[in-house]
Amino acid sequence: MSRPAPSPVYTLRGASAPLNSLHFRCPGGETPLLFSGSAKGTIHIWNLNSRRAERVVEGHSGQSILWLSTLRSGDALISQGRDMQICLWDLKEGRSEAVDSVWTGSVGFCQCSLLETSPSNYLLAFAGQETEEIQITEMPSKKPVCTLMPDTKLGMVMCLQLWKPDSGLGPLLFAGYEDGSMLLWDVTQRSELSRVKAHPEPVMCLTFDPRLRRGVSGSCEKKLSSWMVDSQNNIQLQDSVVLVNPGVSQLRIRDDGRLLASAGWDHRVRVFGWKKLRPLAVLQYHTDMVLSVAFSDHQDPRQRLLAAGSKDQRISLWSIYNETADKALQGSTD
Amino acid sequence: MEFGSTHSEVRLKVAQCFRTLSTSTDNKDVTEALKTLNSFLDDGAESGTTSAEREEFRRAHYSRTLRVLVGHLQADWMHALSPTQRSQLWDPLFLRGPPDQTLLVLMEAVTQLSSSSGLERLVSITERFLQSGRLADLLWSFCLHSAASPQLRETLLARLTALPDITANKLHPNNRPIFAPQQYYPLLASEMLAALERTCQALRGGTDCSLTFVAQTLGKVCIQGHSGPVLAVMFPRLALCTRSDMVWQRVCWKLLENVPERWMESVLTGVVQAAKSPDAFSRVVGNLVLTNKKAHFVLTHKVLLLQYKYETPVLRTILGYLASDRERRPLLIQVLQSVLQAWANPSAVKHTPLEQQLYVSKALVLTVSLLKDSELQELRSDLLQCMLGGMQSHLDSSVVRIRTMGMVVGECLSSRMDINGTKLKFEYEQDEETRELLSLMTPSSEPESDPEPADGAPHAEEIREPSDPTAASGSTPASPRSKTDPDSDLDSDDDLTPYDMSGDQAMSQASPPRYLRDCLETLISSEDSERVELSLRAAAGLVRRNVFAAKEISVQMTKVLLHMEDKYSINGFLALRQAAMVALTVIDAIPVTQYLTTEFYSLNYSLRQRMDILEVLALAAQELSKPVADKVTGAATTSELTSYRSSDPADWRQVVEKRIQSKTKRISKGSTQPVSKAAPNRYAPVAGYFFFPLLKNYDRPEVTFDLLGSDQLVLGRLIHTLGLFMHLALNAPIAAQMGAALLDFVRAVRYHVDQMVRRGVLFAVCSVFLSMPSQSLLVDLGEQLFETRTWLADVAEGDPDADCRSLALQSLVLLDKSLKKQLQDPKALSLES
Repeated sequence: MSRPAPSPVYTLRGASAPLNSLHFRCPGGETPLLFSGSAKGTIHIWNLNSRRAERVVEGHSGQSILWLSTLRSGDALISQGRDMQICLWDLKEGRSEAVDSVWTGSVGFCQCSLLETSPSNYLLAFAGQETEEIQITEMPSKKPVCTLMPDTKLGMVMCLQLWKPDSGLGPLLFAGYEDGSMLLWDVTQRSELSRVKAHPEPVMCLTFDPRLRRGVSGSCEKKLSSWMVDSQNNIQLQDSVVLVNPGVSQLRIRDDGRLLASAGWDHRVRVFGWKKLRPLAVLQYHTDMVLSVAFSDHQDPRQRLLAAGSKDQRISLWSIYNETADKALQGSTD
Repeated sequence: MEFGSTHSEVRLKVAQCFRTLSTSTDNKDVTEALKTLNSFLDDGAESGTTSAEREEFRRAHYSRTLRVLVGHLQADWMHALSPTQRSQLWDPLFLRGPPDQTLLVLMEAVTQLSSSSGLERLVSITERFLQSGRLADLLWSFCLHSAASPQLRETLLARLTALPDITANKLHPNNRPIFAPQQYYPLLASEMLAALERTCQALRGGTDCSLTFVAQTLGKVCIQGHSGPVLAVMFPRLALCTRSDMVWQRVCWKLLENVPERWMESVLTGVVQAAKSPDAFSRVVGNLVLTNKKAHFVLTHKVLLLQYKYETPVLRTILGYLASDRERRPLLIQVLQSVLQAWANPSAVKHTPLEQQLYVSKALVLTVSLLKDSELQELRSDLLQCMLGGMQSHLDSSVVRIRTMGMVVGECLSSRMDINGTKLKFEYEQDEETRELLSLMTPSSEPESDPEPADGAPHAEEIREPSDPTAASGSTPASPRSKTDPDSDLDSDDDLTPYDMSGDQAMSQASPPRYLRDCLETLISSEDSERVELSLRAAAGLVRRNVFAAKEISVQMTKVLLHMEDKYSINGFLALRQAAMVALTVIDAIPVTQYLTTEFYSLNYSLRQRMDILEVLALAAQELSKPVADKVTGAATTSELTSYRSSDPADWRQVVEKRIQSKTKRISKGSTQPVSKAAPNRYAPVAGYFFFPLLKNYDRPEVTFDLLGSDQLVLGRLIHTLGLFMHLALNAPIAAQMGAALLDFVRAVRYHVDQMVRRGVLFAVCSVFLSMPSQSLLVDLGEQLFETRTWLADVAEGDPDADCRSLALQSLVLLDKSLKKQLQDPKALSLES
């Protein structure tokens, strides 16, 4: 029958502030790391072997960190704070200094989105100064690519995700707005490709799986909406999943495309099978809202953890459905 | 003159033969004499006698001849006869003469002779007599000449039907198999069939026949309880023959008409049970129900309303029979009315056994299903009125099965009556009984198994049986298919087995109360549904954790809980409230029980609340009486409480039954339980507080609460609860007083109309006998005990409710055991005193 509800493998304490953003970095052969950005403006770099904070980076002048990520190449870390800055950090050889920064002008909570177009260049999409404005900048040259403004009032930009389709079209951008609608922008044409009203409430988060051309978005209601991008780049709503409690702050799909995790306002992380959105597990540990989830990109599938950062200032790490991935791998080689 | 001369000639000859047989020592003379006698029976052409002589011999001398022969069984010449001579000269005298006389002589001789080789001889000849089909000849002879004297007929009938008894009485273990009832009665049945066959032929040939004797035989056999084997042989054959043959039909009808009235009932019930379908039954019986009063009574009244031992197919047969003919149709409507009245009668619902009510319900549903819409339309007002009354009395009953039965019947009736297109619809649990009742609404779908083979029904069953397992095995391979999902691709999530997600409950804003007083405050005054729910959920735990705080407010909190209503339809409200109240009662037993027992009899409570009080007290007493040794009882009690099913009396009864069973066993085996760690019984010191206040005031009717009147539901539960208290008080010092008081208390309601109350009373009595120390049974109860015993015996014999009967029996056994123990061990008594 069903297995008993799982419990975390371990937890990380000491951030002493709500954890807004989590990011794994597990380069081959090196120590697996977890970056966490807190509401106090501190970035913790956790060593997952010793389970201690290796380094603490203070930045964004004590303002809350909204988002952080690393570049595929090298040790560069990008973080976005509520001080309207996006900073690029050099972490090589124990340094921890901001080498570059971009001013966004946004007062909202929209996390920015990163798309690496070539080994050296990458695009950043972030909310701009105006309410509905989205800015796209090419890095590291800091050259603005475009500014996207919808022609109707949609409210603030809530979440973004850049996507480079295989078809060779220019990068596309999903954007969720305050009134619950979701737009698909063509960045190069600066035109709106498709628009859909995914939620009655603001779109709090979205994530997209390029392989299946399917995505899912959450709001502050008891529902996750899944949707599909067809060959004409139209967003089509599909079935939705009903949650027990309302409110989702983040959604993540595991790299192998098997699992979807949601960070719930009800202190729980929910895990779904991504193909059919079948509920698989409810991870209960935190005592406050879960703000962020992240899947590890570790090379060994068995060590691919799920991390959840919560407002209760703790990070929990879960080992879930690792062994089945392993089994499936074996099955396919047989 | 010539006749006279024939007479005397024959007499002379016969007398001479007799003389020879009795005096002669010469074998030759004897064989001559026997040959002469044989010649009188010989119909062949070479016989040396005239037909007139033969006639005269058969009429006047045959019996005497046989008697002489029987009288000389031990004669020398008898022993001197060789086996061939015996079979040529001696045996034919018995086998070829008039069979009625032979039978009489043989039976008489068998009863008179003591066991000897002569008796052996006679038994063998009787056996051959039966085997050679002489019985059919006998019956047939009476079909042709019905002139025999009534006395002769009567005697013959008695011998014919009682042959197995006569032989068994005489021969004991040496009885022959053919005389055993299992063989004899089927043989008799086939002989009757043979006689009927000949009758048919004779009728076709234009000869008049009388079936009176056969009918009498049939009746007599049936009344003696052998209708089963006899009709199992006869009926299939009759049903088959009557399919196309008018003569056979007439013979059958005549046969049944000729059955004497006093035996009619047993014949008819036998036929009905043997009949497989209404059609066959109506072919064989014809319109007997219209012409014969007794048959009318039996078929339309007795079998339907007074007896209830028959299987459903019997009902189907009778009602289908009534419905199948235009002339009989009015009877069906008559039956409907009487059955409906019986069903709707409130006193019948109360006083008749459940099985009978089920039977009547079945009959009613069947009748309604057989009526046409137009007929129902005519009867509508009657039907509606009876139905409503009947529904009410059924739904009033405190027995679940009766209520369910009422609901099902109501649904069936209303669906047939077409009351402006509306139908009754009830919620009840489907079980075998309700399904059977509902299935009666649809006419029997099984095809009439009439293509019966000529040699009877058993053959048909043999053919059918092997075909069943193949059909069953054919259906099985379909089941394991479900695993292979047609659209299972490797990519799906199906290989990810979900974790347990039951902990994923909706979040509430408020947090549960941490202090008992907060909890109480919320329960009293809060309008916030979430907080109330959380408080209620937390209450039991808080009470148990904070014993001292709980003792301060126990009564107040009990009061609040008792009056609490499920305003917010909280999930599991009743169980939660009950758990909290039980916790309070356990923690602070004396004040809370005082409060609850007082409130039980006070004004302005609903029945539900009063029942709640009883349940809480019972559960608390149970918990108190359990050993306190293991501290982790919390989990156990919650799991018990989640299965809150107190409103289900069946469950309750099961518990009682189980308890009694286990108790009964323990007494007989002695203490087999492993010795557990001793712990003080927390219940024993407070048992009286639970028990005695409830005995007060029961007979003082309030405006809102009349325990001895209409509120029998509570009365039954009260007595049950008292019985439970008594049971739990085993080994408590106060048990003797409690037992005496309880026996006294139940005396007033021993013969209550409601069976739930009676069951409660019997349960209480059982528990008294279980829990009271056996020495005090005699000392304290004394005369009351013997009076109780007679009452129990009376109930065990005569109560309409099967449960009551078995409970009474159980009590009797317990009482006797206890008394026996006491009386065999008088030392204990003297020590005690």
